[in-house]
Amino acid sequence: MRRIYRKRPKKRPVYLGVLFFLSLVLSYGLSFWGQPPSPVYSQALIENQASAEVGPPGDRQVIPSNPTQIAPAPGVLPPGVEEPRLEIVKTADRAAAEPGDVAIYRLLVTNVSNQVADPVTITDQLPQGLIYVPDSVRSEPQQPTDINLTDSTLTLTFGALGPNESISVVYGVLMTPDAVRGDGRNIAQASAPGFETVTAVYQMTIRPGIVADCGTLVGRVFVDRNFDGQQQPGEPGVPNAVVFMDDGNRILTDPDGLFSVINVLPGYRVGTLDLYSLPGYTLAPNLYRIEENSVSRLVRLSPGGLARMNFAVTPTFGEEQP
Amino acid sequence: MKQQWVYGIGAAVLGTPVLVGIALSPVWSQTEPLIESETPLEEAVPAYSIRVTSALDGDPVADEQLTLREALKLANGTLPLDALSPAEQALVEPLTDGAGSEISFELPEGETTIELVDLLPEVVVPNLVIDGTTQAGYDAEAMIDPRFPPAPVVTLTVAPGQEVARGLSIAADGVVVRGLSIYGFRTTDRATQTTPPSDIFISALAPPVDASPLTPPLPMFRLSRQDTVPQGVVVEQNWLGLPPSDEFPEVPSAFGVTVFNSTDAVIRNNRIEHHDGSAIISGFQANGLQISENAIVGNGLAGMPDAIRLEGTIAGSAITDNLICGNDGSGIYLFKPEGASQITGNTIQYNGRRFFRSAVYVMGSDHQINDNFIGFQPGPGVVVAAHPDSDRNLIRQNRFAQLDGLSIDLVTQGNAGVQDFQRGDGPNPPRNSHNRRQETGNGAINAPRFDSYRFTGTGDTVTVTGRADPGSEVDLYLVVEDDRPYGPLAEVITTVSAGDDGRFSADLEVPPGSHLSAIASDPSYGTSEPAPVAAVLDADGSLPVLPPPAVEIPSCAPPEPPEIVVDPEPEPLVLEVPRNIHFALDRSDISAESAEILDQIAEVMLEFPFLTLELHGHTDPRASAAYNLALSERRANAARNYLIAQGVPPERMQIVPFGLTQRLSDESSRLAYARDRRVEFVFTDLRGVDIIFVDQEDDLQLE
Repeated sequence: MRRIYRKRPKKRPVYLGVLFFLSLVLSYGLSFWGQPPSPVYSQALIENQASAEVGPPGDRQVIPSNPTQIAPAPGVLPPGVEEPRLEIVKTADRAAAEPGDVAIYRLLVTNVSNQVADPVTITDQLPQGLIYVPDSVRSEPQQPTDINLTDSTLTLTFGALGPNESISVVYGVLMTPDAVRGDGRNIAQASAPGFETVTAVYQMTIRPGIVADCGTLVGRVFVDRNFDGQQQPGEPGVPNAVVFMDDGNRILTDPDGLFSVINVLPGYRVGTLDLYSLPGYTLAPNLYRIEENSVSRLVRLSPGGLARMNFAVTPTFGEEQP
Repeated sequence: MKQQWVYGIGAAVLGTPVLVGIALSPVWSQTEPLIESETPLEEAVPAYSIRVTSALDGDPVADEQLTLREALKLANGTLPLDALSPAEQALVEPLTDGAGSEISFELPEGETTIELVDLLPEVVVPNLVIDGTTQAGYDAEAMIDPRFPPAPVVTLTVAPGQEVARGLSIAADGVVVRGLSIYGFRTTDRATQTTPPSDIFISALAPPVDASPLTPPLPMFRLSRQDTVPQGVVVEQNWLGLPPSDEFPEVPSAFGVTVFNSTDAVIRNNRIEHHDGSAIISGFQANGLQISENAIVGNGLAGMPDAIRLEGTIAGSAITDNLICGNDGSGIYLFKPEGASQITGNTIQYNGRRFFRSAVYVMGSDHQINDNFIGFQPGPGVVVAAHPDSDRNLIRQNRFAQLDGLSIDLVTQGNAGVQDFQRGDGPNPPRNSHNRRQETGNGAINAPRFDSYRFTGTGDTVTVTGRADPGSEVDLYLVVEDDRPYGPLAEVITTVSAGDDGRFSADLEVPPGSHLSAIASDPSYGTSEPAPVAAVLDADGSLPVLPPPAVEIPSCAPPEPPEIVVDPEPEPLVLEVPRNIHFALDRSDISAESAEILDQIAEVMLEFPFLTLELHGHTDPRASAAYNLALSERRANAARNYLIAQGVPPERMQIVPFGLTQRLSDESSRLAYARDRRVEFVFTDLRGVDIIFVDQEDDLQLE
């Protein structure tokens, strides 16, 4: 055997494969056996009675035991009785909003039990900075019997809601600039006497929008032929030029020499051209505006504003000068 | 990549502005050209022939001598003739033939360097000729190679300690600048940057040098106004950037020729060396620019590194037969130009000394790059950009050697990174989408692909097959450097056309061991990248190793004067050879003795190839003149034919029959007649040296 084995070492992977297969079977069986038994949930009272047969064959006597009852777990209703339960779903007409927007919230409350909920109260806690648009509540098929607004809590009261009936409620909220300080998380809840209170959450992304304080920088790097600092026809842009900003941002121009940076913090922003990135070029003199002869550009970027940093360049010489 | 230059530029940008320098620098007068050219000369400026006799510079003074500044102002019409002294007026001759003014030079010997202290007035009068070759001592014969003109004598440079931005500013049509050495023009650091200084600046309304507070308010440039654009300016036979001593200048110039705004300018036969920036750079417009037969060597040392950089509008421009050697960046860089250029017959080698760029970088469409030698470059040969759109660039019949990259590299996939604008992006994959045409240079024409990397030859021929874009023309190249899959295309072998199915096939006569590549050209798209190299195997399947190409030593030097084939003072040739043969009465056949003499003559003629021979036939005076004339011709012809039979080339011999007209004596003896019946051999030394002869009459035949 040993000799044969030695002579046929290539058989070895076959054995290994069989072993592997066996181990697979084993692990599968283990996982099957290890599976916990599914719990049996009883919905009603369980009665049990045992009996015993006593006596010789042919004359056996059946003796029943006393019946025992296993009561269902506390809270489990007897058969045929459903738990009074409401469902609430909340959506809005947008996932993101900016100050100034009016968002439409939409609520759907459904009685999924076979009991009547009366009255149904819907409470909506509006996020910070969102205010209810007065008289914007529309609902069907019922109309609210009462609308109460306390601070940012809107409470709507409806009449009886029969089994499997729904109320759809629509109302508007206005984003105020304060909304950007909140989290945009809105919790609505529905309750009725005897019913468990249910809640629904809607998260709306609040964008700064018009009250954003970041600005945008645009600009270009180009070969200036007439030394006026403006790009005219025949003055090509320089690709891959680098502009450094005072906050360390490094801006690369596109193949046409243009660049644009969003989300720039407002204030006085300074950019300068990295002459490393344009071998053979240097800043062009500006024969018309002394200010633009500077090696850097200072712009006042207002919040949400747009500012421009243009760099005119011209072929250079004398790079070895101290 | 060496980037030492940035230290300099960083320091230049951050350095303390030398305001004092500005205050002292002659800013006010730098605006003078503008003011002068603002007053257009409506009435025709009288034309003069002006002789410059003084190398001094300064404000015009009515003294004994004329300076170049005075001459230019006189030609421009801004200095009236009667403001000159009588001695100066004697150096000026009015010209009335309608030609433009001429400025010639009669500088005293040893004082031929004009050191400027300020900008010269802009040339605003058309057809002015500034001719440095008129100076005594200019040796026009010293030119060996038209790309290396003889050393000028008149030198235009900057006075020590002064700063002058431009040598000659030309703003008028047809101005000719010839035979000058112009160097040292640049600007130093100051509060603001300056407009590009250069040896020669061609533009209408040249911009002022800088925007210092002393510069008066400027009117807006109107670069696009065509009526003011100088047309047909000629710059020839100058040395730009280097003194006549051929040394590195103490103060290097900034740029050579700035063709800022002009049409049909001609720059030919100049030596342009040692500039900080480009040798020739265009600005707004350089339509019809002709750059031919210049030696452009060692420029771009500390600035724009490319030897010839064309920007702006360059329609109809041509760069032909130049030597572009040893510059710091690309040899030719076309940066976002409008219009097409022709680049033909140039030798572009050893460039990229500082920036490893391609030898030729092309943006734009419809350029033609033909018949150039492109080699010894630490980058690819020709790169066609992907952005801006660059199509229909034909790159054919060029020879490449010793490249670090592809011979032809088409940038693909809209690549626009830093390297893509300097040395391309390497071999492209085959086109897999029509959209590649939009975002690749030359319309993404596919490189040809051989069917195999190895072809087996039969004898000296091999059949090569492959695939290219249908309808394209495939140039098959020999590759002699086979160390890479994309060796430089050394030499074009033949051109075949790809069929409608894209198949091409060629029977080549190349020895086994050769390596082949190919490029495809389609006029609708341009020329492709080269195919991967395929080898030619011997019939037995082996790959012989061919000897590598000879190693070339880098050199941009002007050609050495050819070894003087003829001695400067050739020794007079001593010919101990007979100069005549004699004939019998009324005969024209060669006797045995005469044949021996003719053998000697033939030997001499074969030994000294600079000898030519006239054969003069003569007769004695008996019989008619006409008969004798024919007889003498027969005799000379017989001698000539004998010499031809001996191997003397017929183009070096000429027959002249004289008949009886030139007797040797008036005697009528038999001996005298015998001496008259002869053919004389008249040798001429083409070197212009007399020959010493020995006479003979050993073959005299008495009657």
